[in-house]
Amino acid sequence: MEMNDEPPVHTQPPGLAPPEDFTTFMRKYQDMVFTTSARIVRNDAQAEDIAQEVFIKAYEHFEMLSTSPSAGGWLKTVATNLSLNHVQRYRKRWKFFSEFSGGSGSDSEETPAVEFAAPDTFFEGIDSGERRALVEEALARLPDHQRVPLVLYHFEEIPYDEISRRLGVSLAKVKTDILRARAALAKILSRGESLETLAN
Amino acid sequence: MNSNESEKLEAAIHRVLRSLPDRKAPTGLEGRVLAELSRRAALPWWKKSFAYWPSTVRACFFAGSAIAAGLVVTALIYAGQSRGAHELAGGVSNSIAWLFFARDLVATVSDKVRMLIAAIPPLWLYGVIGTIAVCYATLAAIGAATYRALSFARQNR
Repeated sequence: MEMNDEPPVHTQPPGLAPPEDFTTFMRKYQDMVFTTSARIVRNDAQAEDIAQEVFIKAYEHFEMLSTSPSAGGWLKTVATNLSLNHVQRYRKRWKFFSEFSGGSGSDSEETPAVEFAAPDTFFEGIDSGERRALVEEALARLPDHQRVPLVLYHFEEIPYDEISRRLGVSLAKVKTDILRARAALAKILSRGESLETLAN
Repeated sequence: MNSNESEKLEAAIHRVLRSLPDRKAPTGLEGRVLAELSRRAALPWWKKSFAYWPSTVRACFFAGSAIAAGLVVTALIYAGQSRGAHELAGGVSNSIAWLFFARDLVATVSDKVRMLIAAIPPLWLYGVIGTIAVCYATLAAIGAATYRALSFARQNR
């Protein structure tokens, strides 16, 4: 996890200042907390609100966190939980629509074959900066019911059954959605679309 | 897709995703958090949640609540035994007489409705209920199909 290189914008009101340690702590983890949240909620403004809430909770437990080697994990868990709570508010709606047409995700359900390039050729001719932006954009284009379990599985390393429990959907559906999300990502990445194409 | 391809795809996507660096947090985030912490810290104790009240105040609050509850219970017992309580009950019952009238009215209307429903042949009744259910299901299906069509179109664009 990197620290922010840029100096922070200080809008701290006079009086009651949090300890210097907390500011350092926040600078160390803010990118990770914001990224965790942004990948789940897919909205920077909402992710910033969630990150703010995470650090306010962290401040309440700062005595414990300041000396804990697992502070990063604690922050990541809280950020994930708050982001999931945010997404869950709309979950019933997308769950109903995504499962409506019989595609409730049985194990036997066929996932369409995807032509994807060999991993090494995903990004031929694309520089690393554009590659990152391309993957982030491709990820953001996935529908919620695919992106959320995919992010939880690959970034947060939460097992399928735990994702199923936390999202309140069947295990089979979680697996199918993740498989479809991977296929959709592979399709986009194999095509090597430019960012302009994705943005339109 | 067979399981071998599926595993290959999983490994490839995992590697691509895990190679992503963290995004930069907005530069204003730190300022926002510090401002919110300062705002909360500046609040007087009675505007904070109970957990943040001073322990002496919390103890006093518990004691005060217990005394108040005791006084209320005692007062109610005495009031219930007094002669004024019966007069008060009579007054209250007069002022809410309209509630009894409303109750009778609802009972009469529901009796009439029940009689009306009983007079309708069951086949008609089931037909109407069935038609409403079919209309509802059709609307839901059209909504879901439209959502999915638009969603897939967006995904495949």
